[in-house]
Amino acid sequence: MQKQWLIGAGILTSAVLLTGCSSGPAGTQTKQNPDAPLELWTRTTPGGPGEKATLKLAAGFEKATGKKVKVTAIFDDFETKLQQRAAQKNLPDIVLNDVSQLGTLHSQGLLREIDLDKIKNSKDIADSGLASGKSADGKQYGLPYSAQASALLIRKDWREKLGLKVPQNWDEFTAMAKEFTTKDPDGNGKQDTAGLAAPLSTKRGYASWYFSNFLWAAGGDFITETGGGKYKPSMETPEATKAVQWFRDLGCKDKAIQPGAVTMDTPPTNETFEAGKAGMYVVGPYLLPRFDKSLGKDKYEVVPMPKGPKDATVLAEGGSVYLMAGSDNQAGQDAFADYAVSAEGQKLGMQGTEGNIVQLPVNKTVDITKERPDARWKTYADIYSTSGRYAPSIPNWTPVRQATADTVNALVADCGIDTASKLKELDSKLQGVLEEQGIAAS
Amino acid sequence: MSVDQVRPSANGSAVAGARPTAVPAAKSRPRRSRRAGRWWTPWLFLAPALLLFLYFKFIPMFNAITMSFQEVQPYLGNKWVGADNYKTVLTSDGFREAAWHTVVLAVGQTAGCLVLGLALALLMEGQSRRLGFIRSAAFLPVVVPIAVVAELWRIMYHPTGDGMINSLLGLFGSSPSGFINDPHTSMASIMVTGIWRGAPYDMMIFLAGLGSVDRGLYEAAKVDGAGRFQRIRHVTVPGLRSVFSILFILAAIRGLRVFTEVFLLTNGGPDGSTEVVMTLIYKLGLEQNRLGVGAAGAVLLFLATLVLTVCVHLFRRRGNE
Repeated sequence: MQKQWLIGAGILTSAVLLTGCSSGPAGTQTKQNPDAPLELWTRTTPGGPGEKATLKLAAGFEKATGKKVKVTAIFDDFETKLQQRAAQKNLPDIVLNDVSQLGTLHSQGLLREIDLDKIKNSKDIADSGLASGKSADGKQYGLPYSAQASALLIRKDWREKLGLKVPQNWDEFTAMAKEFTTKDPDGNGKQDTAGLAAPLSTKRGYASWYFSNFLWAAGGDFITETGGGKYKPSMETPEATKAVQWFRDLGCKDKAIQPGAVTMDTPPTNETFEAGKAGMYVVGPYLLPRFDKSLGKDKYEVVPMPKGPKDATVLAEGGSVYLMAGSDNQAGQDAFADYAVSAEGQKLGMQGTEGNIVQLPVNKTVDITKERPDARWKTYADIYSTSGRYAPSIPNWTPVRQATADTVNALVADCGIDTASKLKELDSKLQGVLEEQGIAAS
Repeated sequence: MSVDQVRPSANGSAVAGARPTAVPAAKSRPRRSRRAGRWWTPWLFLAPALLLFLYFKFIPMFNAITMSFQEVQPYLGNKWVGADNYKTVLTSDGFREAAWHTVVLAVGQTAGCLVLGLALALLMEGQSRRLGFIRSAAFLPVVVPIAVVAELWRIMYHPTGDGMINSLLGLFGSSPSGFINDPHTSMASIMVTGIWRGAPYDMMIFLAGLGSVDRGLYEAAKVDGAGRFQRIRHVTVPGLRSVFSILFILAAIRGLRVFTEVFLLTNGGPDGSTEVVMTLIYKLGLEQNRLGVGAAGAVLLFLATLVLTVCVHLFRRRGNE
């Protein structure tokens, strides 16, 4: 009577073992095949204009080199799906994603180091852009193909109706936000508009992403470098505290941030702005084609962010080409990266009025005013070069962004919390994060 | 299947129902009847299911347990870290808070679903044809995809005076609530959404249970002068005892594993007021790429569910004796 159980258990165990063994040891070199098609993942809406633009770039690459690329567009939970593929040890060959993902990907060992000698067009990349693809140890792990910075979008028709000037400093910004909220700028007889649209959900750390535009303009910082690659948390400094308080008042006191902001990530926030529920929005240039279509080009204007207590620093970011580990076609990976940053690839990526994947070119030989006569792009290019600032290169930026997003979200959601004690809590959390990454100043 | 196959076997083993394979192995080896077949016949029938379970349940579970003791880095090689992951999870404030939120949400939703489900079932009990339509309508929330439900409630919970529920509240002179956007009301709002979705499911099971309550008892109670509520309390509820315990187990497990509603409505916010164990595991494991820590959290959640199920089972068995 025992025997059958033993046999059954034996079959199960051996099957488990067999499956267990199929995942081989890590770090082994994959056999190379220069003709293998490249699998490319890009973080954009499937079926949307971003995917079409990526397909166009891939087609250009195929024509130029004869190598095949299979494009997959994923938007929701992109990083999660990438993690799943990593766990299966079967990553796509190339990933196009935000520059700020570098630390997370690199610390997991998911990236292959990029040999700039093999990318001959890399000599034309602007220095600040190239630096954003370097890991904390100074090695190149990402190759930026597109850059951008945040600018302020204002509902021009609302502004003119209320007889206001484009805000030049934070006081004027607050005043405009208040008037947009209380003076019924859309004239429908209801007080159903807000001054500022803001994605303040904790998802992907959106709240922190958005708030960095205000924090840096006030002279504050999430973490401050103390020299030698060491950092200390700095959300309790007077500058940071002031920025937090000012932003919080905008939501809590003036009620000038759209209702429900604390549970909204970017898609519903975009809708808030284009549906005429909010009059200002701080975003990158990638939304212009969409808003031109949904809202109308004449309805809104693009201006630089008003000067904060310190200056008008805004978040600079962009997209990088990541060459993923374990690829069986490293030559193909290099060739794609080279094409993406070449003048030809950059121009191709900028083509069309909607869904271009290159926002501002990283290649110095490409002139934005020539490729895009629309003056608003010049505005973005100027902001990027004068006031754009990337998140610092630390081993992993994600936990810092997550922790600060939680706090900003909490402070706007619950107007009863004490700002100072919450920021103190945040600083001790950040200290923990820095210690875990081995970059905490003693 | 196994009971039918095994029962006519020559030695008429008493363990037939529980262990179908045990029969042919008995030492006194009488000639097998034709229907009993070879010893491996039941295994053959079980094989497809076992294989599926093996690949989609047991191996992933086994991997998760292994991962919970490792620092997982697929391309750098996993490192054994012993119980470090468990320590990280158990000592973090986030986890304890999330565990508490999960329990609150599970208890609230379970109680709400049971009460509302029973009330709906009592209202809709009967044979009338129209009731069938109404029952189907009431059952609708269960079959609507959760993503749609979440979007629907997000619209209904719009935090200004012209939001759907807020404008109803306004009729009673109440000021608009922030619902999911206010840390003080977010938990209750998610609970209401969960009850709205879960109660009709309980209702259906109650309806099935109500059919088995002896009608004669109602009449006897009526003759004895019992009022409507006394009849429910002394006849209906005791008659539904087994249904209650099944629903309790199902709802409690569902409650502990709550994820989608929370993820879609608030993602644990605002101010972490709705963070539950599953959303925390998701964040730790997949957003911050600490799969080992996430796996440790998942194993702990599994153990909690297991303990709960066993407890309810023991409790129920004692009640039956």
